[in-house]
Amino acid sequence: MADIKIKTGKMIWKNPVTVASGTFGLEFAELFDLSQLGAIATKTITLHPKKGNEPPRLAETEAGLLNSIGLQNPGLENFIKNDLPEYRKIDTNLIVSISADSISQFGEVIQALDRQPGIDGYEINVSCPNVENEGIAFGTNKEVVYNLVSQIRKNTERTIIVKLSPNVTSIEDIAKAAEKGGADVLSLINTVYGMAIDIETRKPKIKNVIAGYSGIGIKPIALQNVYRAAKVVKIPIIGMGGIRNINDALEFIIAGASAIAVGTQNFVNPLASLEIIQGLKKYLDEKKVQYKDLINSVNF
Amino acid sequence: MFYKVLQIVKKEVINNKYFIITFSNSDMADQCHPGQFFRLKNQQQNFPILPRPFSVYNIQDGKISFLIKIIGESTKNLFETKIGENISLHGPLGNGFKLVKNKKVLIVSGGIGYAPLNFLCDELKKADNEITFFHGGKGSDDIFSKIIKIFTEDGSIGEKGLVTDRLEEFLSQNQIDIVYACGPKIMMKKIYELCKIHNIGLQVSLEAIMACGVGSCCGCTIKIFNENNEIIYKKVCKDGPVFDGYTVVWDE
Repeated sequence: MADIKIKTGKMIWKNPVTVASGTFGLEFAELFDLSQLGAIATKTITLHPKKGNEPPRLAETEAGLLNSIGLQNPGLENFIKNDLPEYRKIDTNLIVSISADSISQFGEVIQALDRQPGIDGYEINVSCPNVENEGIAFGTNKEVVYNLVSQIRKNTERTIIVKLSPNVTSIEDIAKAAEKGGADVLSLINTVYGMAIDIETRKPKIKNVIAGYSGIGIKPIALQNVYRAAKVVKIPIIGMGGIRNINDALEFIIAGASAIAVGTQNFVNPLASLEIIQGLKKYLDEKKVQYKDLINSVNF
Repeated sequence: MFYKVLQIVKKEVINNKYFIITFSNSDMADQCHPGQFFRLKNQQQNFPILPRPFSVYNIQDGKISFLIKIIGESTKNLFETKIGENISLHGPLGNGFKLVKNKKVLIVSGGIGYAPLNFLCDELKKADNEITFFHGGKGSDDIFSKIIKIFTEDGSIGEKGLVTDRLEEFLSQNQIDIVYACGPKIMMKKIYELCKIHNIGLQVSLEAIMACGVGSCCGCTIKIFNENNEIIYKKVCKDGPVFDGYTVVWDE
């Protein structure tokens, strides 16, 4: 049987499959044993509770999903009190996704979480397209990314994962800045800017007008970002963006991802991540190839 | 809650607007409470991407049925899926209606809003409630089996007019303990206003565009008044789809 264990930063993964922040939660535990996943990424947590954006927040398009949730979350304190004890019971890596509106606030959140046991890594969400002056403002400027990551590095020994936006001019510059700042892992991509209009009412289908676009339609965009980032950094990459099944996942791994995350597909088939784990083992056995040799193995 | 791929065991075409599909799974059927829903999708079809939520219409002998109105691509795909072919079912989801016993109950539905109320009506009957069922539709093809008092906008069957036209009079002349409603928002808002005048409890089933169906993604939020009369967001999929009609922010 194929060995699909990996190590990213200080995290040992039993398999390289996780879920994209915001598309998953403890609610899925009713459907399957979540400890089967290589890691679980929480919905993004902020220092204070966030109400989220005005509805409607969702619209389906021809090839994907538009969302503008606006990082609705119960806030750091409630997360630690209510959700963290439940996540801790699941025998797999826990990645807590974090956003903040200043470098010092990121530090404050990390310091509070670092006192809590049972967290394996932090995903620094510098790329949410749905909150003003937050997240993406950090993620599109390489100097800011470097400063932010190096400040966070001072606050924690745990694995730092920096989640990158595709909405940038040079993914290479941002990826290198995160690595130089001390990131252990990169995860990409976050959603792509998108929009849809109701032609009868001429109103935007999303109240916030501009939304984050995810799903199969962004897969080629995600794949080339992973490929380009993998060429310029030595740290591992968690690849995501439109992954629905094992074939999609394999493309990301071959392009340079050490692990992959399932996002929008969790809404279509909540068991997709499990099916990908099984599919990966089968593929490796059939092709008689080692997992580590599959990563970043594009043939020209 | 389950996620299973099941064969359609029965399909009934009511007319060119509505059909009923049935699945057989007693584990799932046993868990269903009136007002709960499932997310259905023919996984052979790539588009539309997301499964669509449908309320449980009927539970009988380990079988689950859904009454579906053909509106867009998803419902058309379901309609075209044949007996013996597979559909993914995710559910039962949501909270469902609060049931009562030995009460005088009024049920009001509009169009496809009839679906969850059919199952509700069955369960309320078992609990010795005295039920009056009002239903409104655009025409005679929007009318279903259990209805006692029928209204159609075109007058082709039953009384001509809106289902809410005679409610005022009915509520004035009858002592009703609780009202259950599902239908167009404008209809439910009118019912809420009448219930408020007569001080009658109201439960409504709402809908929203939905992604995860379980409360994880926060995509299907609607505005609700909390106990301090502040507007907060609630998730239709998990906090609902049934809400106390008095807490819904109707003016949107």
